[in-house]
Amino acid sequence: MSGAGVVLIIAVVLIVAALAWYLIWTIVALARITKGLDQTIAAVGEIIEKTAPVGEVVTTINANLDAGVSALEGLLVKKAGMSDAIGLVDGLYPGAGAEGFRDHPGSGATKAPRIAEVYTRGVLTLARLGREAPIAAASPNGPVLRDVSRGAGAALGLYPELRQSHPEKLPRSPVIGTDAPVQYEPSDAPGVRRHMPGAAAVLDPEGRPDADAGTV
Amino acid sequence: MTLYWIGDAVLLLVVLPVVLYLLHGVLRAARSIVPSVDAISAAARAGARDLDATALLLTTQDQAVRTVAGVADYGGSLDVILDDAEAGS
Repeated sequence: MSGAGVVLIIAVVLIVAALAWYLIWTIVALARITKGLDQTIAAVGEIIEKTAPVGEVVTTINANLDAGVSALEGLLVKKAGMSDAIGLVDGLYPGAGAEGFRDHPGSGATKAPRIAEVYTRGVLTLARLGREAPIAAASPNGPVLRDVSRGAGAALGLYPELRQSHPEKLPRSPVIGTDAPVQYEPSDAPGVRRHMPGAAAVLDPEGRPDADAGTV
Repeated sequence: MTLYWIGDAVLLLVVLPVVLYLLHGVLRAARSIVPSVDAISAAARAGARDLDATALLLTTQDQAVRTVAGVADYGGSLDVILDDAEAGS
C-alpha cells in the first residue's frame, strides 16, 4: 500500500471518529432535553388539571359577591336615598361617589352632599373600620387607626397613674366576709356608721348621709 | 499518485476541520438547550406546587355563598327595622 493510501485511511478514520464523538455527546444532550421536557410536560399537565375548575369557581364567587353588593347598594339607596348614599360613599372613599352604583345607571352624576362635614370624623372612622378589615389597616386618607405594635401600651394609658408606674407593692384589697379580720357593724342608714373607731358616731343634724362625721 | 496526495491534503486540511466545526456547533447548541429546559421544568414544577391551594377555592366559594347569605339576612332585617328614605331624596 502506498503512503497516500495510508494517509487516506487515517483521514477517513479521523473523520469517522470525530463524527462518532460529537454525535454521541449530541445524543446525550438530546436525551437530557427529552427528560427535561417530559418533566415539564408532566408539571404543565398538573397545572392544567389544577386550574381547570378555577374559572367556574371564581365566576360563582363573583356572581355571589355581585349579588351581595347589589343587595347592599340597593338597601343603602332605599334607606338613605340616592343623594345621601352617594355622599356617604364619597365621604368614606373620596372620589368613589363619582363612579356611582352599578345597579343604578347615572347615579354617579348625583351631586353628593358633603357627608364628612355633617358627621364627625369619628363616625366616618367607625364606618371605615367596618368596611376595611383588618381593623388595624390604615384609613385611605389618614394615619393608621390603631397602633398595632403598641396596642397594649395604649390601653394601659386608660388606667390611673398609680398602675402605670409599676410600683413594687400596692395596698391589698380589703378582706370582706364573716371571717374577715376586721368586722364592721351594719349601718343604720346608708353611709352612716353606728360607732366610729375611737370616737362616738354622730349623725348629721340634718340627717344627710354624706355628712363628714360618720360617713364611710 | 500526486492526485492521491492532493486528495489526502484536502481531506485533512479542509474536510476534517469543516466537519469538526459543524459537529461542534451542533453539540454546543444541544448543550445550551439543556439548562433552559431544566429551568423551564423547575418553573413548571414550582407553578404546579403553587397551585396546590387552588382546591381551597372551593372552600372560598362556600364561604362566599354563606357570607352573602348572612349579609342578605342582615339586609332583610335592616330593611324591616329602618325606615325608607323619603321620596325624592
